[in-house]
Parts: sequence; structure tokens; C-alpha cells
Amino acid sequence: MIPVLVKRDFASRVRGMPYVITTVLGVLVFIGLGFAPVLMEYFAAAFAEDTLDILVVDYTGEFLPVLAEVAADSGAEAVRIEAVPVGEESTAFQRVIDEGRDGLLLVDLPEFAFTTLDAANYAQNSRLQNLLDRSLTRLNARNLGLGADELAKLFAAADLQVRQIGAGEDGEEGGDFTSSAVLAYFMIFMIYTCLIMYGNMVASGVAEEKSSRIMEVMIAKVKPTELMFGKILGIGALGLMQFAIWVAAALATNAVRRAGLFGLPFDTGISLGNVQPVLLVWFAVFFILGFFFYASIYAAGGAVVSRVEEVNQVVTILTMLIVVGFIVAFMSFTNPNGRLAVIASLIPFTSPMVMFARLTLGSPPAAQVAASVILLVLAVVCGAWLSGRIYRVGVLLYGKRPTFREILRYMRG
Amino acid sequence: MALSVLNVTKRFRDITAVKDLSFKVDRGRILGFLGPNGAGKTTTMRVILGILKPDAGHVSWEGRPLSYWGPALFGYLPEERGLYPKMHMHEHLVFLGQLNGLSSRDAKVRADQWIERLGLGEYRGKRIEELSKGNQQKVQVIGALLHQPKLLILDEPFSGLDPVNTAMLKEVLLEQSQTGCTVVFSSHRMDQVEELCEDIVLIHRGELVLSGNLQRIKSAMGRQILRVALEGRRDFWRRIPGLTLLADRPDYLEFRIDPSLDPNIVLTQALQAGKVIRFELMEPSLDQIFVERVGAGA
Repeated sequence: MIPVLVKRDFASRVRGMPYVITTVLGVLVFIGLGFAPVLMEYFAAAFAEDTLDILVVDYTGEFLPVLAEVAADSGAEAVRIEAVPVGEESTAFQRVIDEGRDGLLLVDLPEFAFTTLDAANYAQNSRLQNLLDRSLTRLNARNLGLGADELAKLFAAADLQVRQIGAGEDGEEGGDFTSSAVLAYFMIFMIYTCLIMYGNMVASGVAEEKSSRIMEVMIAKVKPTELMFGKILGIGALGLMQFAIWVAAALATNAVRRAGLFGLPFDTGISLGNVQPVLLVWFAVFFILGFFFYASIYAAGGAVVSRVEEVNQVVTILTMLIVVGFIVAFMSFTNPNGRLAVIASLIPFTSPMVMFARLTLGSPPAAQVAASVILLVLAVVCGAWLSGRIYRVGVLLYGKRPTFREILRYMRG
Repeated sequence: MALSVLNVTKRFRDITAVKDLSFKVDRGRILGFLGPNGAGKTTTMRVILGILKPDAGHVSWEGRPLSYWGPALFGYLPEERGLYPKMHMHEHLVFLGQLNGLSSRDAKVRADQWIERLGLGEYRGKRIEELSKGNQQKVQVIGALLHQPKLLILDEPFSGLDPVNTAMLKEVLLEQSQTGCTVVFSSHRMDQVEELCEDIVLIHRGELVLSGNLQRIKSAMGRQILRVALEGRRDFWRRIPGLTLLADRPDYLEFRIDPSLDPNIVLTQALQAGKVIRFELMEPSLDQIFVERVGAGA
């Protein structure tokens, strides 16, 4: 009997506008992420600032040459500097306006004054600030008698490499870390979105059956628990298919980039190829268990209301729990083995996201991972059983929504 | 006995919806299940189908509980009509057929036959929500009997149907009974019940009031209804004890006649009052039995 129900729930939604739209949007997001670096370059170029074009009056006589040197390092398109002799400040002001230059810089160390028509241009101000900082540093270094080599030593960047104990025996961590973290963020976001989206779909599907009164025909023919699982599996299949389409889109994007089509570089951006396969397995485990856990509770929620409009009131608390899990999962990123993360990764309401977050960031103790999975599986079984009981009584009740105490009574049967 | 309901009691908290109810239906018969609103008809039907568990008593089909036979045994049309509004009609019927154990091919063929037969052909690919109430009801009736159940339980099947569709449904039910299907249906329309049913069960406040063969019930009540039409003094009856006026129509008067009163006395009085055009002793109609047994307030 269940296959017929699963098929109906699947088929009646797969053609629906909401499903088609979210699927297509998801595909676009995946493709977009794949091409994000390229797109970012494109947009950066499109919005690139014009040349910083300024007139300079140097009262010290020693700053201008250094400034010109630093400006030349930045490239001729980036900065254009024209010196103005001391005493011609007033005509220089006029020239800024007449010639459409960015401004007039007066240098009287340690003070600088910049007069411009566009004083609120934050980007321009910070570029100038940066330019002056570097020039001043170089000038000071020179005055202290430092050569070019010593200067390079002074400004050498610290080469920090973070390594996780236990991971990367094959020596493959390192550079991938950032982009895989970004992808992990994204995967957690997907768990979050899918739990809410498909949970709500289950709840409103049940409420719809009640409000359209098809429920009585169904319940005469099928056990309530069969009906519930038919719906959960049908909608779950819908979710898996959407997920498969998205992954396919991501892989296709990858392949396009790997093939070097459109002259796109492969080594930048977010790519599924950066994720260890074991993480994908964990993702599937927590995605599916989390879905079953929440879907059965959502189904019970849908069963205690009479009309579709009331669903929101009931499922809000579930949505809030999912949001909490999502937030804690993100907080875990900064400290994946902190007390909050450990506790939340054991509680079934939050563990699908939090434990997965911890897994993406390193190796939580195996005992904790095992405990998390076992607790979640137990919760799925108990949740389905309790929800089945609520469902059985709830589906034929109309009118006033049952109180919490009445719901507890349904659970006892 | 095909269907047997034995000492069924169903309580909801402090309300007893059905109280120690027993009746039987023979195979291939049509049973009219009657009672005023709130009498417990729907509850009884739900108990028969296993949707509700009785607090006492049990229901059996051919000597075994209904659960033994599986859901394909029966077809059910609940009082609250319901279909999936977004599904297409033909697809919906196939779904219901499959739910009752038909293969997808059988379900498709039969759905097509019934769609044709009940004149729904032009709506075949329409969504349920695009159909009129009456057509939705026809779809649901088809859904109940698509898998050729041995038992049809129909809660108020005629409500909301126009005369043409009512006639069509009556024909379908008679045909089902002729092919051996046992039909139980509830109705408020006594004329429909008289036309279709050989047997009736009348309940009131969850308890059995009357059950058995309709004709025999009527005979047992006796010819206690009297219709008189006369030209003359229409108030002649006021002096006759044992005569109760039921209806004062322009063309006739209708009385209930007490068994102790000899109808000839009434006739004699009527002849003295004027020219008697009609004098007829009749069995009570089901309507009258209903009103008498459950009270006019029901």
C-alpha cells in the first residue's frame, strides 16, 4: 500500500510550481557558486575605481619622490601624481575643479591635508590613506638608514599554517581548508533549508488531507502510520531528487571548469571536489536522519490542526528548534569542540547540523560521533512511533485544536 | 448473514454515541440506515469499517472480523466528501483503485468505463477542484465502487445531487445489489429509502428503534392511516374519538385512526357530512413511521 501513497505524494508535488522554482533556483545557486570567483572578478572589473588623480604640493621636499616611487609600484593606471610648486596652491585648487581631478594634497609632515570635491568618498579616502602610509613608512625607513633588503625583511608577512591533529595524514590539508569550510557552511545551510522546507511540506500535506476531508476515505483503507510514512517517504524522495539535481548541477559546473571551457580557471572557488568523500557520507547520514526525525514530528503537527492556515502556528516551535540548531552549528565553527557544540551535537533536535558542522572542521572524538548517530536513530524511531499515535487520533479530529495535555493522552493511546 | 453488527457500543468521553446496537444485512440486499441528525449513523458506519474501535461488541462479515478480509472488501463514501483537490480526475480514480488493490492497468480501464457511464467524460483530465460539487460526489462514488467491493457503505449518498444524478445513482446502487454487492446507505430522504430498500434500520440516540424488512414493518403497523375527501362539512371528524388529524390538505384530510376505532363508523359520519369522494385506509409511509418513532422534533 505504501508505494501507492509514496507515488501519489511524490507525483502530485513534483509538477507543482513551488518545487520546480526551488529546484531551478538551487541549480542557479550551485552554478553561481561554481563560477563565483570568475563572476567576482568580472564584477570587480566592472566596478573598478578610476585612477586616483591628484595634485601634490610638498612643503618638505623629501616626501614627493618617495610618494612617486610608491605610486609607480602601484601601476600607472592606479595612481597619477602631479607635483605643484609651493606657492601655487590657489591656482591648483582651481585646476582640480577645471581639470576634473580628484583633489589637492598638501604635504607638511607629519600632517597631510587633502582637499577634494568628493570628501565623502570612503573608497578614495582609504586608497589615499593606504598610499600615504606606505610612502611614509618607506621614507622613515630610509631616513633610519635601512636598505631595500632590510626593508623587505621588516615587512615580511608571517606564514601561518594551521594543521588539524589527526587529519591530513596524506598531507592534503592546508590550502583546501578555507574553501572546504565555505562549502561546509553551505552544506549546513542546505540541511537547515531542507529540514524547514520539507518539514513544512509534510505538515501542510497532512493538514491538507484533513481539510479536504479525503482523510476519512484514506484512513478507512490504510493504517494511519502507513499514511504518515507514505507522506514522509514521498516528500523525502522529492527532497532527495532535488538534492540529486543540485549535486549534478554542481558536478557539471565542476566538469566545465575542469575542462577549462570559457577560459575559466579551475583552481579557484568552491568546488565539491575539495570535500573529502567521507564528509559527503556524513552529510547524507545527517541529512536523511534529520529529515526523518523532523518530518515525523511535523506530520504529527499537521495532524492536530483542522485547516492548512493553522499549520504555521503549530510548526513554528519546530522551525525555531531548527533555527537554533543552525545558529549553534555556525557558532561551532569557531570552537568545534567547545561545550555548547558537544552538547548540541548530541541532542537530536540540533545534532544533524551541529555534529555535521563539527565533522567538517576536524575529527570530533569517535565516541561522540557514535553517540550522536545512535541518539538520533533512537529519536527517529521514538519520534515516528509517538507521532504515529498522535497522527492516528489527530487525523479524525476536527474543530478545536487539542491542548498539550490531550496530545499527551493520544501518545499513551 | 453477510454483514453482522452485534451489540456494538461506542462512547466518546461522556457521550454514548452508539448503544448496544445489533442488526444484520443479507448478501446483495440494500439496507436503509435511518435516524435523525446525531443519532449515531456516521459513528456506526465508522465502527463497521474499523475507523473507530467499538468499546463493546463487534462487527463481522461472513462470520469473520472485517480486518480479516482486508480493505478491498468494502467501498466507503463518507458524509464529509473529500478528494485531493489538485489531482486530475482520472489520475485520482486510478489512485483510489490502486489503494484498493487494483493493478494500475485495471484501475485505468475501470475508471474510464465509469467515467463514461456517469457522463463525466469531458472532465477526465480536469483537476478535482475544477469540478462542481455534484460531479465531485460522482467521482467519489466511483472511487468507492471501482474495485467491485462486496460491501458498499454510503453515508448520505444522495445529498447534493440533482434529480437526474439521483436517478442515475439509484440505478447504480440497484445494479450493484443485483450483482451481489451488499449496500448500506444512510439518508434523510425517506422517499429514496422506500424506493431502494428492502430492509431498514432506524436508530435514535444511538439505540435501535426498528429494524427489518420495510414491507413487513409497514404491515405490522396496520392500516392506520385514513385519507378522506368529501364535499361538505370538513369538520365532521371532531366528534369521533380515536381519530387524529395528521394533515389538512385542500383535496383531502389525513388521519391516524386508533386501532380500537372501527373505520366504518368514520365512513358513516362522513357520509352524513356530505358527498364522499375518497375514503382510503393505508399503511403508514416511512416518513410517518420515522416521525412517530423518533418524534417530530427530530
